[in-house]
Amino acid sequence: MFRRAQRRIVVPFLLPASLLLAVFFLYPLARTVQLSFSEFTRTGRQRFVGLSQYAELIGDDQFLASLGHAVVLALAGGCMLFPPAVAIAWAFHQRLHGERVFRFLIFAPVVLSVAVVALMWKFILHPTLGLVNPAFAAIGLGDLVPVLLGDPRTALLAVAFTAVWHGIGIWIVLTTSGFARLPADVLEAGRLDGAGEWTLFARVMLPMMRDLFRTLTILWIVQSLQAFAFVFIMTGGGPFGSTEIPATLMFRVAFENAEFGYAAAMGVVIVVLLLAAALGLNKLLKRDDLEY
Amino acid sequence: MSTDAGAGRARFRPFHLYFYVLMGAFALAAVGAFAWIVNSSLKTDVEFIGSPPFSTTTSWQFGNYAQAWEAGGVGAFFGNSVLVAVSATVLGVFFSVLAAYPLARIRFRGSSLVLSGFLMGLMVPWMVTFIPLYLTLRDLGLLDSRLGLVLVYATYNLPFNIFVMVGFMRTLPVELEEAAAVDGAGPSATFFRVIMPLLGPGVAAITIISFLNNWNEFFYALVLIHSEDRMTLPVGIWQLSQAATYGSNWVTLFAAMLIAVAPVLLVFAFLQKRITEGLTAGALKG
Repeated sequence: MFRRAQRRIVVPFLLPASLLLAVFFLYPLARTVQLSFSEFTRTGRQRFVGLSQYAELIGDDQFLASLGHAVVLALAGGCMLFPPAVAIAWAFHQRLHGERVFRFLIFAPVVLSVAVVALMWKFILHPTLGLVNPAFAAIGLGDLVPVLLGDPRTALLAVAFTAVWHGIGIWIVLTTSGFARLPADVLEAGRLDGAGEWTLFARVMLPMMRDLFRTLTILWIVQSLQAFAFVFIMTGGGPFGSTEIPATLMFRVAFENAEFGYAAAMGVVIVVLLLAAALGLNKLLKRDDLEY
Repeated sequence: MSTDAGAGRARFRPFHLYFYVLMGAFALAAVGAFAWIVNSSLKTDVEFIGSPPFSTTTSWQFGNYAQAWEAGGVGAFFGNSVLVAVSATVLGVFFSVLAAYPLARIRFRGSSLVLSGFLMGLMVPWMVTFIPLYLTLRDLGLLDSRLGLVLVYATYNLPFNIFVMVGFMRTLPVELEEAAAVDGAGPSATFFRVIMPLLGPGVAAITIISFLNNWNEFFYALVLIHSEDRMTLPVGIWQLSQAATYGSNWVTLFAAMLIAVAPVLLVFAFLQKRITEGLTAGALKG
């Protein structure tokens, strides 16, 4: 029987990928947990300290503040991301003329390196050499706009905006595919009943895509937690620590203070919080499934 | 998703204007940002600092590109990026196609365990493993080497690639292997001669996505590479921006950013549909 012969190739086919995964992902992952129980001295020695670094984390104002910033980033970014993404996806759903050009231009930033996009916007938001502040100054409103990346009130929002500008294309495409899967007969029935486009959109299309939005929300939260490069390049966590997120804090603690164990403990807490948030949201947003 | 241009387009209706305004605003923001970079990259430093940001260049300094490529080291960064991104992509795609085959089409004990081991990589955020990864690479002598970065990138491509390929291979009919076995082909010959030629679209999708990710990756390149002559473009350009801030050498940086961006935009222009479809497949089911 050829089934038995097939089994001979299972191990050799799986081996290369499994080896890579074990050495560069699973082992480091397990070692993160182990490291979180050890303290590193400046000389590079480690000693076992049990859960004490976790206890320390709970009272660490910097860490708590960074978690707060991550929440703000996810929320503010989500508010900047989803309304336009849905609106544009709806526009693509209309099969307008010239759609391809718009698709290209709106999606193009997605394929660019985060590093380049972050740098680009750092310059665009530069108070004198950039585009935004001089533009407002030119029409006489210069006093109304703060130095966006230099003001603790706006810096995090500016970073969130940049992350959204970079990634919005993906969310538009995902939402577009949601529109494409709407049952055409239901929409047609609505139109025959005299529903306007707006009513169809708000009362029929959006509720039908509820599951999709649940997935997208969770995806966005996971993504926004990893906005490392945007913060690192645009503000470095400043001004006055107002944009420090867990990822940049971990990086600093590990490589500037050489406290590998403490940074690893942060990592473990982040994963646990993330999984908890994903599960919680999944439950919270789940309603009895609609039958179409 | 999108059909061929022109076919099946809707008749114009007045409310479409809202959509055009909305899409136009976004498109304009993108075009404006790029135009500004192009314009700035063609100024001199004195012009860049001294003239208003909206004024078009008067000196057309195409030499800035040569300057960035040679003196700025962008040529070397570009070479490193090509080397790292291409090798990692090839490795990651080949290994995941190999691994996906038994996972998708051969029944064996522990197969679902192995699969979930791979898929775990889709759920755990990458940033938590960077410290032990750094230590592991140091112990293996792979820190600050392009080979180390290639292996790490290939590994981090695996979960997504395997996920897509397993899904893809499961859609192929079972009779393929049965017929090959009847013809007397062994299992690996069956894989290479019968299955592989059918994987074109799936392999294309994961190759493009992996390449874009590897070409653009910043975080691991920052953590694992320290010598300037081994840096890839994203970290190299970041490094250049640090130097530009102190030396007021802005225009070279803008030229460097354009050089980094041009190849991916070109790839995207030609493969737009494939790329968006690939991204959709991965992100939605993942």
